[in-house]
Order: sequence, then C-alpha cells, then structure tokens
Amino acid sequence: MNILDIVGINMRFGGLMALADISFNVVKGEILGLIGPNGAGKSTMFNCISGVLKPTSGDMLFETGNRKIRINGYKPEKMTYLGVARTFQNVRLFSALTVLDNVRIGRHCRTRSNFFGAVLRTRSQKEEEQRIVDESINWLKFVGLDKFAFLTAGGLSYGFQRKLEIARSLATDPSLLLLDEPAAGMNPKETKSLVELIHSISDLGITVILIEHDMKLVMGICKRLVVLDHGVMIAQGGPRAIRENPKVIEAYLGRGAADA
Amino acid sequence: MNINLKDALKYLLLAAVLIYPLFSFANEYFLHVMVLIMVYMVLAMGLNIVPGFCGLLDLGYVGFYGIGAYTAGLLTIHFGLSFWVIVPLAALNGAIWGILLGAPTLRLTGDYFAIVTFGFSELVVLFLTNEIWLTRGPLGLPGIDPVIIDFSWFSTLINPEWDWYWEFIGPQPYFYLGLFMVALVYVIMGRMEDSRLGRAWFAIREDSIAASSCGINLLTYKVIGFAISAAIGAVAGAFLARWTMFLSPDMFKFWESFLILCMVVLGGLGNFKGSLVGAAILIALGEVLRIILPALNLPTETRFLAYGLIMVLMMRFRPMGFFPSIATQSQKNPILIKLKKELGSS
Amino acid sequence: MFEQQLINGLTLGMIYALIAVGYTMVYGVIQLINFAHGEIFMLAAFLAVTFITVFGLPIYIVIIMTMGCCALIGVLLDIFAYRPLRQSPRLAALITAIGMSIFLQNLAMIIWGSRPKPFVQSALPPFLRTTALTVGDASISWLQLFIFGIASLLMIILFLIINKTRVGTAMRALSQNRTSAALMGINVNRVISFTFALGSSMGAVAGIMVAIYYNTLYPTMGYVAGVKAFAAAVLGGIGSVPGAMIGGIVLGIAEALGAGYISSLYRDGIAYAVMIAVIIFRPSGILGKSTLEKV
Repeated sequence: MNILDIVGINMRFGGLMALADISFNVVKGEILGLIGPNGAGKSTMFNCISGVLKPTSGDMLFETGNRKIRINGYKPEKMTYLGVARTFQNVRLFSALTVLDNVRIGRHCRTRSNFFGAVLRTRSQKEEEQRIVDESINWLKFVGLDKFAFLTAGGLSYGFQRKLEIARSLATDPSLLLLDEPAAGMNPKETKSLVELIHSISDLGITVILIEHDMKLVMGICKRLVVLDHGVMIAQGGPRAIRENPKVIEAYLGRGAADA
Repeated sequence: MNINLKDALKYLLLAAVLIYPLFSFANEYFLHVMVLIMVYMVLAMGLNIVPGFCGLLDLGYVGFYGIGAYTAGLLTIHFGLSFWVIVPLAALNGAIWGILLGAPTLRLTGDYFAIVTFGFSELVVLFLTNEIWLTRGPLGLPGIDPVIIDFSWFSTLINPEWDWYWEFIGPQPYFYLGLFMVALVYVIMGRMEDSRLGRAWFAIREDSIAASSCGINLLTYKVIGFAISAAIGAVAGAFLARWTMFLSPDMFKFWESFLILCMVVLGGLGNFKGSLVGAAILIALGEVLRIILPALNLPTETRFLAYGLIMVLMMRFRPMGFFPSIATQSQKNPILIKLKKELGSS
Repeated sequence: MFEQQLINGLTLGMIYALIAVGYTMVYGVIQLINFAHGEIFMLAAFLAVTFITVFGLPIYIVIIMTMGCCALIGVLLDIFAYRPLRQSPRLAALITAIGMSIFLQNLAMIIWGSRPKPFVQSALPPFLRTTALTVGDASISWLQLFIFGIASLLMIILFLIINKTRVGTAMRALSQNRTSAALMGINVNRVISFTFALGSSMGAVAGIMVAIYYNTLYPTMGYVAGVKAFAAAVLGGIGSVPGAMIGGIVLGIAEALGAGYISSLYRDGIAYAVMIAVIIFRPSGILGKSTLEKV
C-alpha cells in the first residue's frame, strides 16, 4: 500500500532541469532513504512534496483518508493539514520563542480557536489551550527536550535544535514525515540517539522519507533507497543493491571509479 | 499575600493617577496631556501588532487613525449617532480598509508592504484634503458633538423628574473614558498575544517558511493582524474626534505615523506593554520640546530630529526596546505556570 | 496642451529616473529601501545654494562639488547607520532608514530654516529660461534641454560603470548573491560604499535640477520626491537599473498627463496610486524578475 506515488515529476528553473522525470513510490510505514550527491535535487523533491514548489509537470498522489489525491501545487499549509510534515536542511526554528511555543505552533493546523475565542477566553478556547500544552509537552518528552520547555529555542545546542524541529513537525500529526539531513552537524552520540528517535517515529506508524549524507546512517535505517543525481533518478532498491550499483558509485566517486 | 515594596509603590502610583483628576488643583493642561498620552498608548499598542508581532513595517498607520476619526466625525455630524454606536462602526471601517489594502499586498515581501502603507496613508490625507463636499477639506470639520451618556429614555420611565443625561465637558470625563479605552485594548492585546492567534503571528515574524510548514496560512494571518491593528487605530481616531470636537487633514500626516512607530520602537517591537511607556515618554518629551525649541529659535517641527535619532539608536543598541523583561504575557498564563511547577518537581 | 504636458512630464521623469537609480542600486546590493535617499537629494539642493552664496563658485563647479559631498554623505550614512545592522532582521534596517531620513530632514531644517527658498538665479546663465525650440503649441526651454542632456549623459556614464568596469561587475555579482560574491574575493563593504556613492551623486544632480527647475528648495522636498522616485523604481522593477530609468520617465509622464487631464489636486496621488497598483498586479515591475527564496 503506497502513501505517496511520484509519477514522472519534472521541475524546471529557467533553463535548469532540477528534476527530470522522477518516479517512485513510498510504501506506508516504511523509512525511505533519498540520497545523492550535492545538487542532485533531493531538497527540491522535498520542496515539491511539501508544497513549497510546484512541479513543472508530473503527478504526485498522496493517500489521505483512504483516498488518493493529486497534490501538485498545494500550498505548504495545505500539505501540513493533509498530513505531510517536514524539517529543513538548515534548521528553521522560531528562535526567539520558547521551546514549548515552537511545538505549540506545530499544533496550529489541528486546532481552531480564533480571535474571538482568544479575546473572550471562552471555555472551549481554554480547554483547547490546555490540550495544546499537554500534547506539546508529550512531543517534547518524546524527543527528550521536555526539561528545556521554557528555554529560548535559539539557545539550544545544534543537535537539540534539530530534535526540536522534529518535535514541532510531529506536533502537526503527520502521516508522512520528511526529514532533510537531520544528522548534519551532529556528533556521533547525537547521531545515535537520532537513529533511535527515527525508529520510534516509525513505530508510531508514521512513514518517513529521509535525506541524508551519512551513508552509514541511511544504510542502517532504511530498507529501501532512492538515488538521485543531477535531477535524474539513477537507482532504487535495498541498501546492498544500491551500494553495489555501478551508477551510484560513479555518481558519488566520479567516472571510472566503478571500473577500478 | 505578600506585597513587596515595588508592587506597593506601583499600586500607589496607579491610585494616585486614578484619583488625580478629581482634585480641584488638577491642572487642565496636565490632564489634557494625559488624555493625549492615552490616545497614543492605544495607537502604539495597535501598531505594535504589525511590526512587533508580525514583523512587517507599517508606515501608514495614521491612515486608519484618520479613517476612524473622520468616520466618527461625519457620523456624529450628519446622523447624530451615539459615541457607543460609532466606536464599533469606526473599528469596522478601519478593519475593512485594512483588509482591502492588506489582502492584495501582504503576499509580497515586507519592503513592498511598508511602501504601500505609506502610499495609502498619503492617499487618505489627499482624499480628506480634496473631497471638500464630504470633509470640508483643509478647513477641517468643526462642531463634532462631545461624548454623551444618555439614559434619559430609561430614567424618565422610572421617574419623570430624573434626567440621566451627561455631556462630557472638560478633560476629567475624557480622562476616565480614555483610561477605559486603554485598559480594554490592553486586555485584548494581552489575550491575543497569549493565544493561537498570537503564536501564529510570532511564527510568521520569526520564520515565515517554517510557519507555513506548521500549517499557518501566512496571508490570512497577516491580513487578520493588519485588520485588527487598523481597527484599533480607528477606535483611537473615533475617540479623538469626539474629544477634540474638531478634525482636519493635517492631523493625519505622515509625521504621526512616524511618531507612533517611534513609540513602538522605544517600548520594544512586539512588547505591547512597552508601547505604553513609549507613548508616555515621547508625548511628554514632545511637550517639553514644544517649550524648549522656540526658546532656541527653532521651529517646533524640529523635535522630530530627536525622534529620528531615537529610532536609529534604538535599532543599533537596543533592538528589543528598553523593557524586554516585561515582554511576554504568557508568563501569567495559569496553564503554563502549572506546567512549570510540574516540570520543576519531576 | 498635450505636447506641452508630455514635455513637462518627460523633464520630470528624467529627474525621477536619476533619483530612482539610487534606490534601485542600493536595493540591488543590500536589499534595503534606503528611505534617506530622498534626503540626500534635498541636501544637494541646499549644499549647492550654500556653495554659490558662500563661495560664489560657478554653477558647473558647484554641481561637481555637490556630487562629491553627497557621495560622501551617502557613504557615511551606510557606514554609520546601515553597516552595523547587516546581520540584523531586515525590519531593523528599514526602521533605521526611515529614522535617518527624518533625522536628516530635520537637521536641514535646523541649519537652513523650514521656509522655502528660491534658487540663486544670478548663478545661472540667463539663456536657460528662454525658449529653445517650439514644437506645435509646445515650447521647450533651454533649461529643459539642459536637464535632458545632463540626465542622459549621467545615465550613459552609469550604464558604462555598471556594465564595463570591474566595480560594476562586482556590484552585479553582489546583487546576485552576497555570500558567493564575498567568497570570490570581492570586498563587499567597499562595493556597497561605492554603490551608495554612485547613487547619492546621481540623486545630488537631480536635487540641484529640481531646485533650479521649480526655483525653490525646502527641507521636506526630499520626502515627496523620494517616494515618487521609489515608485518609479518599483514601476521599473526594483533592482533593475534600466527599469528605474524607464519607470522614472513613465511615471513623470503619467503624472504630468494625469495632473493635466484628471485632477491636479491628486497630482501626488497619481504616483502613489501607480505604485500601489504595480505592487499589487505586477510586483516585479516592467523589467524586474521575481526571485525565489531558497529553502
């Protein structure tokens, strides 16, 4: 059962073909690795799926509520509402706000109180606020940041900021989570706890697509990988097959490396 | 209850300010300045929503102030509507213009928005100056009734002798009405800040791309912020119309927008309590300079030199304003206080 | 009537274009609306009059001296006001810009008084006021020709600087990507200073021209002219120098024709309305290109 079908996606920036005829499926519940050298188009792919960019052509079909819908050109907030959450290659937190507020903002799309509720402090608004705090603190516990709830997000260490960003995206109740290089800049200890975190996210039934440069990490976590190079999909399959695929070796190490 | 000295002093001061107008030695001029400060407190709080909460520069706030004032003035003169009906109507008119201007322009980057708001407020002044059939143009709009509290329709039902009818004369009643207005806007600001709405604004200010990835519709929330800010400006305008009983287009020139922005910057962007202090300081400073500058043979407009300098220096050395410590309302939120206790104990 | 309005509009448009290039170049390199640019335009008029009355210099020397002084003011403005805020949020720089604008305007008011002054006519060659040629019902004065000539000359020089010199290449590189430009060994701050100097000296010429053309100068003249020139820059596509030139001319003509045929009361309003309409319907302007934020 696929949660996402990517069918013949093209993304063109002026004369540059950032993605050319990409097709792959994402199976519900899996952890899919999306790898490739720098400039391969991985983040562009994420931007298309999460609604930041609209692909030039092709189809993206997302399963929600037992229905497949075509999500091309949906706005990011709409995608979040449908159940696609993401993190960013360079961490994007609300740095001046507290850790708790960052996660509370993640609950935005699942709550509904408005100006009148806020000003009149209606009963339903108060209950909702309590629920938001409870759920947010649970997600902070899930990533292990609850004791920092009242600190400013910008003051956290880099590894914790990455985890906070994950907690914030989890707070949107996603069915599909896009992680853009979550281990970048982490030390080995932090990376290890990140791996555990990704596994426990997967255990919640959330499908994960992972962009990562750390090959050891990707090969360890993902049962299946998609490899992009210069906007073209050059391989997909299990870790072992990918590791031995000559095209992949060539893409990473340069022409001739596969023969050597 | 333990009330420390600082709190006690604070409440004592507040009480003194509250009862001051009742004393016979209360100075008319001083009371007038206090009412003026209150008008600007409301304006500064209202403006703070746009640059402070949403992170967008609004250079045309005075446009909404003017729209509110003329809405109130014209409705009073032509239809004799009561102040209590006019205030919501003025707020509504301000909000409508906020939406009309904001919806098409808030999609763009903040720079464009700043310049559009500026152009808008200039157009408002041009309209007020040139549409003489409606506004009497540069001659101004005199003869606006003061605020009236009229319960005579009710009191005469009980006893024909009773006439519950009060017309606001002199600064004292406006002082208390102004205070009520400041308190009301203050409470609304505090509640908005500590809510889903306020958090959405802060998210947009901090990082709009991340905010939309949290499911926040950027345009909707920016327009809501701009409209509420406009409505608050219009309320201050309605108060001004019924207080000064005279309006002219000159009262709504760009300088006013700049002055209000300067109050917001001084008090701290995003810190609506600081805006109160900013308004009080700059109005007081303005009054002092109004006396000093002619003595130095300078035109009184040159006081804006000081305001310009304040803004530049604040951005350079104190970008969070002078009072960053009183910034967050949520520290008083019972839900969070409870949570803090739980986290602390575990 | 129509031809005359067209010629008046074109004259005005050349002046707007000269100011607009200053906005657009600075926006190109540091993505900041330099609100104080209009004040440099105003200061130029006052400095020119001061040089004439105090030193009794001929007008051509005065123009060059004023250009130099304004270039220096522009550079100092950047160094003291904007440079410390390069890493701050854009809102902070924008507020500083508006603060500097008000500061300079009131400084001028303190130095030269708030009342409008006439330009020193005796410093100008008398033939400037006479008619140079007539086309149908319309007449063109030598002054208007002079403004066309000098503005066109400056535009050509500017075009050559931007497209043919090393520093011009550096400016264009900077407007593409500041970080990469710095990595390529471009001295970013020096190029930014140069941009301010170039834009300010163009604005200075415009200031003197306006003071001569309308025979009046006053401390708030930079405020309206500045906004209109910014509208011209937006119209042409902010960041695009040829766009600013075209935008200035289009706006000048639109304003003259609008004032002639629609309502002179809303003369200033036309610029604002054009600006708002462009921002709403075509924010990239005539020649600008839309940019994407990198995620």
